[in-house]
Amino acid sequence: MTALPLAGLKVLDISSFIAAPAAAVVLGDWGADVIKVEGPEGDPNRSIMHDSPSYPKAAVNYPWAMDSRNKRSLVLDLKQPAARAAFDRVLATADVLICNFPPPVREKLRLSYDDVREVNPRLIYASLTGYGEEGPDRDRPGFDATAYFARSGLFDAQRYEGGPPGTAVPAQGDRATSMGLVSSILLALMHRMKTGEGSWVGTSLLGNGLWSCGVVAQAALVGAFLPPRPPRDRPRTALGNLYRTADDRWLQLTIVREDKLWAPLCRALQRPELADDPRFAELAPRRKNSAALAAELARSFESRPYEHWRAALAAEDVTFGVISRPQDIPDDAQAVASGAIVATATPDVPRTLANPMRVSFATQRIAGPAPALGEHSAEVLREAGFGEAEIEALRASGGMR
Amino acid sequence: MSEEAPLAGLTVLDISSFIAGPAAAATLADFGADVIKIEPPDGDPHRQNFRSVGYPQSAVNFPWQLDGRLKRSVTLDLKTDAGRGALDRLLDRADVAIVNFPIAVRERLRLRWEDLEPRHPRLVYCSLTGFGETGPERDRPGFDITAYFGRAGILDAARHEGGPPGVSLPAQGDRATAMTLVAAILMGLRRRDRTGRGGWVGTSLYANGAWANGTTLQGALVGAALPPRQPPDRPRNALANLYRTADDRWLQLLLVRDDRRWAAFCAAIERPDLENEPRFASREGRRANAIALGAELAALFRREPYDIWAARLGAAGLPFGVIGRVAEVVEDPQAEHAGLFTPTDNPEVPRVVNNPIRLGFATARRPGPPPALGEHTESVLGEAGFTAAEINGLRKAGALG
Repeated sequence: MTALPLAGLKVLDISSFIAAPAAAVVLGDWGADVIKVEGPEGDPNRSIMHDSPSYPKAAVNYPWAMDSRNKRSLVLDLKQPAARAAFDRVLATADVLICNFPPPVREKLRLSYDDVREVNPRLIYASLTGYGEEGPDRDRPGFDATAYFARSGLFDAQRYEGGPPGTAVPAQGDRATSMGLVSSILLALMHRMKTGEGSWVGTSLLGNGLWSCGVVAQAALVGAFLPPRPPRDRPRTALGNLYRTADDRWLQLTIVREDKLWAPLCRALQRPELADDPRFAELAPRRKNSAALAAELARSFESRPYEHWRAALAAEDVTFGVISRPQDIPDDAQAVASGAIVATATPDVPRTLANPMRVSFATQRIAGPAPALGEHSAEVLREAGFGEAEIEALRASGGMR
Repeated sequence: MSEEAPLAGLTVLDISSFIAGPAAAATLADFGADVIKIEPPDGDPHRQNFRSVGYPQSAVNFPWQLDGRLKRSVTLDLKTDAGRGALDRLLDRADVAIVNFPIAVRERLRLRWEDLEPRHPRLVYCSLTGFGETGPERDRPGFDITAYFGRAGILDAARHEGGPPGVSLPAQGDRATAMTLVAAILMGLRRRDRTGRGGWVGTSLYANGAWANGTTLQGALVGAALPPRQPPDRPRNALANLYRTADDRWLQLLLVRDDRRWAAFCAAIERPDLENEPRFASREGRRANAIALGAELAALFRREPYDIWAARLGAAGLPFGVIGRVAEVVEDPQAEHAGLFTPTDNPEVPRVVNNPIRLGFATARRPGPPPALGEHTESVLGEAGFTAAEINGLRKAGALG
């Protein structure tokens, strides 16, 4: 292992909540020095576990631990001129600024790209918005449920016939978006290496939602639409459907290459008679009779527990997935073996999720504790060249904490 | 943009199939990389996916346009010595190779990083697997619905109480994973720029699903338990809930900062009486009485069409979203401003879904039609120094399909 690939990179994370801070986490995982710049009240993500009823409750503040690992906290009240000036001095020493204020707030705080490039022309300004940088909705606050899932058409396209729109898990779209933002920052670093110049890069929650919904959106662009999803007993294909097992688990059958896997499936189910049943033997009648086939398969799957099916399907190389419950994941040997779940250096949050990138030439940093609000304010300012008297004055004025 | 595309000069071999790997390659192509798709003689099966029953039905091969854009196609039968040998000569000139064969197939084809590194030490080898590179299930084929959504607990966590697991859209997790592959490749290129050495980079669908489900899984890692999501008529939080409007649209209310915005919200919906109503006046009260508040709001929102609510909430700067329908998204003026779609030179598919990365110094290339199978076999081999006689020999040997 050599040095971490982003060692030496200084990142100011002036963003809030999840998508943009999660991108900063990824950079930190790979060695960047990430400084979280917060207002006196702190990032509201510090208390989201308590504030949001859709978050699992725990004695430890696990979402904050995850989204702020390996960061330092600098508190500045940017509405105060002395603090805003101090911020510029820190900015002058930084490589990347990650910003998700709505555009009007950026203007008010003089934090647009045009404002900051004058302070630091080599700076990479990474912008996250809900709905993009231009257009009638550019100033609207966006969250992943609204911008990534709802506005993109994902929720509507996920609904079952006659049912309400689909749902997502907390921050699901935010975290997916963070990787788009990381990619944009890395492209900008490559550009800077070639040209010596900083740049603006960014992405939006809506853009990422639509990208992930790309098949359906691309179809709409040529005038093709998915009808609402039929319920499980009337699937479009019985070989791509959900089945309940005897122990009340769910199996997701996902057979894409039906031509190759139809016979092995029948063997795995110990239903050899189905293989040559004229209703199911060929692709076209199998589709036409998918409700009848789904009933047959449901009857089989309900007769034995999940573990039986897992072994039987795997033995025939039939593709399927279990619908894991979140509580199953911490003990999932594959999740641990493949490095998705890793140990931390934080006793009260002993394990965390690695970011999904792997490289042969480095391993992600071990997660330390997330910072207390303003824990590193003085230290960061010192590194930016502030003297003790200046720091004291800033603290006394309330501009820094 | 007058500057050279940021990835101009980069040669990428897309030796992957279906969607996540190819979508990452398409993104690199968008920014200027020369992407050569290496396909088996019968082609990437994704060429046929538009006939899949889970896809919107269209005579136009829209998914292939989306994921095959800006690529050249070379057919090589890698099972033949001559075909495998020709691949080595193409790799001699390549910067990046994207591989998603199951590990066992890579071993057979001598396509693991350790097979390639001795001859191609500057190559960035990008690996995608379903479940990771190691562990008991590393050899299982994974698709996004099984590995990203099912296995990582997203579908279970997204279900309504008593209901079946949640659903996902075709390739939704694949496309999100593509952004991680892009980030991993850029990290590998950055390392090569600094050290002159290539390396292995990669990710798995499972790791990306776990990352997207990170909030809930991090909760599970510290022992927090999440009960299934309540249906819309029994919300945990009435201010983050779905409401049906008079015109049968669904409004996604998402008042994250209801500590600050409750009064503004009551004013915007013209229900000032709710503001100081004892059950709802405090955040705690609103949570304890979420079902009652939800019923009040459901009755209210049903009275007026979506546009009225959008105007009232929008004027107050309150976050909300419509459950967009893809048919509307493709005509959405905000989508245009946010650069979500980009025009092509292919009259059959005049617009494609843009990748979500935005750069101040470059725009994505305009795509033409995707390549026919093997369309560029001869020209690409010619560029790699193969003579006409050699190419003819390969063809006779069956190496080109």
